[in-house]
Amino acid sequence: MESYFLFSSGELRRKDNVVRMTALDGRFKVLKIEVMRDLYLFGKASMNTDCLNYLAQSKIPVHFFNHYGFYTGTFYPKEANVSGNLLIRQVEHYTDFEKRLNIAQEFIQGACYNILKNLKYYRQRGKELDKAINEIQALEKMISRTVTIEELMGIEGNIHRVYYGTWTTIINQEVDFEKRVKRPPDNVVNTLISFLNSLVYTTCLSEIYVSQLNPTISYLHSAGERRFSLSLDIAEIFKPLLTDRIIFSLLNRKVITEKDFSKDSNYFYLKDKGKRKVLEMYNSTLDETVRHKDLKRNVSYRKMMRLECYKLIKHLLGEREYQALRKWW
Amino acid sequence: MYVILIYDISMIELRQGAKVSRNVFKICKKYLTHIQKSVFEGELTPAKLQKLRNELAQYLREDLDSVVIFKSKQKKGLDKEFWAADESEKTSNFF
Repeated sequence: MESYFLFSSGELRRKDNVVRMTALDGRFKVLKIEVMRDLYLFGKASMNTDCLNYLAQSKIPVHFFNHYGFYTGTFYPKEANVSGNLLIRQVEHYTDFEKRLNIAQEFIQGACYNILKNLKYYRQRGKELDKAINEIQALEKMISRTVTIEELMGIEGNIHRVYYGTWTTIINQEVDFEKRVKRPPDNVVNTLISFLNSLVYTTCLSEIYVSQLNPTISYLHSAGERRFSLSLDIAEIFKPLLTDRIIFSLLNRKVITEKDFSKDSNYFYLKDKGKRKVLEMYNSTLDETVRHKDLKRNVSYRKMMRLECYKLIKHLLGEREYQALRKWW
Repeated sequence: MYVILIYDISMIELRQGAKVSRNVFKICKKYLTHIQKSVFEGELTPAKLQKLRNELAQYLREDLDSVVIFKSKQKKGLDKEFWAADESEKTSNFF
């Protein structure tokens, strides 16, 4: 299955039972409907309902991004894999405070483990990170002792503060990154984090769509309205593995430099060329595989997101306790 | 698995041949990337390949047309070169 990333501006239409994107200059790209998983739109595309109906019928979610590369929303086709039984369990685990906290803690445990794994990797490469690692390890022990979600979120915040503090050490390029700033991101690293995180969310959402889970009921993040917060939960585990590692290698290998950004009215945003470089890296990382111990075969990062959904389902149905992904390779 | 599909549709019976050719082309487009006149390539699962085969079977005439499939377990084992114009853009998922 493949994802398509469309940057050109033009028109999306159904033609010959495939979806075709025609750019303003007449060049076109045929999107193979049978092997398409999802569609990412970065340019200014217009389309008609014919096309949307066809995409929905083929069960393909379409993710939209605005001019600045911020995620704006998803065209989420009618749920194909629904399970009333699972939905009831999902809600049950949300309303029962104890159960909800358990799952939320596990998400943070997984995320924290993966963060430490990143730091240890760079320590091994001679970076001075011992202090941060110790601090995070101390915080890690507190996760299981938390009694409210707010407290848990607080610890998660602290872990991230320490973690982000190490980034200037890890990144070889000259960057001014002190803390995480959103809306709008104010420097190179923050822009990259925002952009890649939104990609991780959307990929998770595409995978949740295939599973029977309901994307609006989440455990760590409050199950708000008008957003698919379960994908934020699951993304938490994958952000250190995808977002952070990709940023490090993009900047350390100088694939991305200040030149790929433009600064307009206090915004820092990626130019199209920069976006494309990041996406190409992101897409190839998702397809990277590692040997899975239990399944005894190679699984890609994308598949691991799906497995995460399945593990959660098993937990909700009471078959097997949920254990968040911990990087074992 | 990585697949290269090439086809020849006989135009002996012009009317019939045109119809077959048109439909085969449209069906292949759904599964594979069109790279040259009657040549397609792309990554398919065995199930999808079978589905493609079933769809094509409705139109292909056993005695006249031919479809050849080259299969490779992995794309990695297959070197691809361009001897004239570089058309690698065609198989890219970025546009």
